[in-house]
Amino acid sequence: MFRQKITSGVLVTFILALILTACGTSGSNNAPATNAGQGSAANSSQGNTGETDKEIVISFYSYILGNSKGGQGAQKLIDEFEAAHPNIRIEGVPVPVADLLGRVQADVATGTPPDVAQLGFGWMDLIANGFGAVPLESLVTQEEWNANFEGFSPKGMELGKYDGHTYGLPFTFSTPVLFYNADLFRQAGLSPDQPPVTWDEVKEAALQINKVTGAEGVHFSGLTPTTGDWIVQSLIGSNSGKIISEDRKTLQFDSPEAIEAISMWRGLVDSGAHDKLNDNEAMEGMIQGKLGMFVMTSAIQGSLLKGAEGTGWELRSAEMPAFAGKPTTPMNSGSALFILSQDPEKQQAAWEFLKFVTSKRGYSIITSEIGYLPLRPEILNEEEYLKDWAAEHPLIEPNIRQLDRLTPAEAFPGANFSQIATILMNAVQTSVLSNADVAETLHAAQAEAQKLMP
Amino acid sequence: MNYRKLTLRSLTKHAVMLALSLFAVFPFYWMIISSFRTEAEMYSSALWPKHWTWDNYADVWRMIPMLDMLGNSTAMSVAQTFFQLGTAILAAYAFSRWTFPGSRVLFLMFALTWLIPFQVTMIPNYVTISAWGWRNTLQGLIAPNLVSAFAIISMTQSFKAFPKGITEAALLDGASSWSILWRMYVPNMKASIASLGILLFINSWNEYFWPLLLTNKLENTVIQIGLQMFMSSDGNAWGPLMAAAVITSVPILAVYLMLQRQIVDSFVKMGLK
Repeated sequence: MFRQKITSGVLVTFILALILTACGTSGSNNAPATNAGQGSAANSSQGNTGETDKEIVISFYSYILGNSKGGQGAQKLIDEFEAAHPNIRIEGVPVPVADLLGRVQADVATGTPPDVAQLGFGWMDLIANGFGAVPLESLVTQEEWNANFEGFSPKGMELGKYDGHTYGLPFTFSTPVLFYNADLFRQAGLSPDQPPVTWDEVKEAALQINKVTGAEGVHFSGLTPTTGDWIVQSLIGSNSGKIISEDRKTLQFDSPEAIEAISMWRGLVDSGAHDKLNDNEAMEGMIQGKLGMFVMTSAIQGSLLKGAEGTGWELRSAEMPAFAGKPTTPMNSGSALFILSQDPEKQQAAWEFLKFVTSKRGYSIITSEIGYLPLRPEILNEEEYLKDWAAEHPLIEPNIRQLDRLTPAEAFPGANFSQIATILMNAVQTSVLSNADVAETLHAAQAEAQKLMP
Repeated sequence: MNYRKLTLRSLTKHAVMLALSLFAVFPFYWMIISSFRTEAEMYSSALWPKHWTWDNYADVWRMIPMLDMLGNSTAMSVAQTFFQLGTAILAAYAFSRWTFPGSRVLFLMFALTWLIPFQVTMIPNYVTISAWGWRNTLQGLIAPNLVSAFAIISMTQSFKAFPKGITEAALLDGASSWSILWRMYVPNMKASIASLGILLFINSWNEYFWPLLLTNKLENTVIQIGLQMFMSSDGNAWGPLMAAAVITSVPILAVYLMLQRQIVDSFVKMGLK
């Protein structure tokens, strides 16, 4: 423990020194940013005089801000950052997630993009090429970069990369996990201490739950287009399939692996193990204790927990189920932070903000108060961060174990990325919930979507 | 025999109407009782909650600046309705009373602008309002909606129905066009103006994307955006959402009740004349 404190102390000093030298060398433009590192004491004692107090305002679009879920946590991130950086003010702008892309597009069109925006990974192509996002490596020296991201999930970092540059800094983040109702398991004569690991076991358990208790067995989310294609990609990836070729030119919706994965899902439905609900209905069924197992992003954990307490059943979680003999490839849902400002001074200030929210302190707030994964997993073992919290919240464990196998969800290239994802989601829905032939449906979707590729 | 047949017919008629109105009122009823349900009972299908709570309303109050938002929504909707009605009355009067060169083309052009969806004009409007420095302001919210093509079209239709003979008699008596409009047309058209007013008010009240684009702070924005704050990709906070929806629908109901009276009154007056 003591040693750990010393190392982190040394690390902090090192980072601080790097910030100071980095800013010092990058010219007079950055003078205000330089002072940020020296702490608030000097600033407050000087009062509001002179160049050093020039305030930089950073606009920050976020769909968590203002929201009844996690909004207060997001505000806390801003408040703590501002307290530590008196000359940077963060103007938080709450934008509902469904309208986020439209709003940023409008602002880019007027030439006034937000300085920092919280956006989804699937929009990467548009963000990098259309919105003019800043490659984050260009803002700092290599040493500072390395020092800052020590202890950061390397798989997580990969997600923000596009064409070899890091445009997005992973921010709020979750992976698909298997939530299950321990009470239904017991009633069906299953052991809640040994949740199913493979899809075959899931099917068996689901059928038993359905037979004995009358509740629905299992629901794998991804049957509602708005859920997003990351979870469908997780399933296909876990069967060693890929949704797009290595050179990112050809879609592979109808690869044998994809067809096999979707057919397995359809088999669950045909056998009666899987319900025929859409994702929202399944979620409500789960909350009411009428569904045995539910595979969905861990971000819904808070809602499920509240529901479980309300209706009186025990919620547990396990890793995403696997195809026998193959490792799962859990993919992320969530968002990254992008710097869209074109003003060098603001870019530096924005970088300071990004660094803070993804610091150990930042992730402590994100995990415990907003409900997403800590991408600096070591904070779960550190007394001053989340050690106690983690002990009280065992549901987070499967998620953390999956982090090592985390695989980036593919963002479809070109301007039609959104339609391509919609075609995939619709084809999956048809394949799983109707009598249509799975292979034929996916062939047709492949042919249709391939035409939309750049 | 005839009498009995009639009762039976009117009975079935009333039964159907009763069923239909129950059908229409039920979602409203469900919204209200859901806003008083506790979280545990939120998904219960019972028609009457076991435990009543004000918590959802307290949550709404705590989580979003409700008063500011209601104030902004009211100011925006009242101003928009006022200006849209005003411009519609003037334009409809001109279109219905005179055939001037190009009047048909002009009217057609108004009708065509009605068909252009908001998404097309959104960016140019946004650029203009930004250039004027009106982002985050009430006037910015109101300005692009001072005139409504829909209002002009429907008002023109009602004005055309006004008997020409009365207008001509007034002209012979020496009344000016201006006074004919305000002393004859408007008082006699109260019912259609009021019903159009209700429609316009509801339209403005429900506006969502333009305020979303224009405002940066919850304090500066309208209530429809406030409602969104209880919805997220990871599920909705149904209790507070329903409570906020109840609060949001109260002003609409108030306007409706107020203007409905007006409509009925003007019918009564017309009957007396």
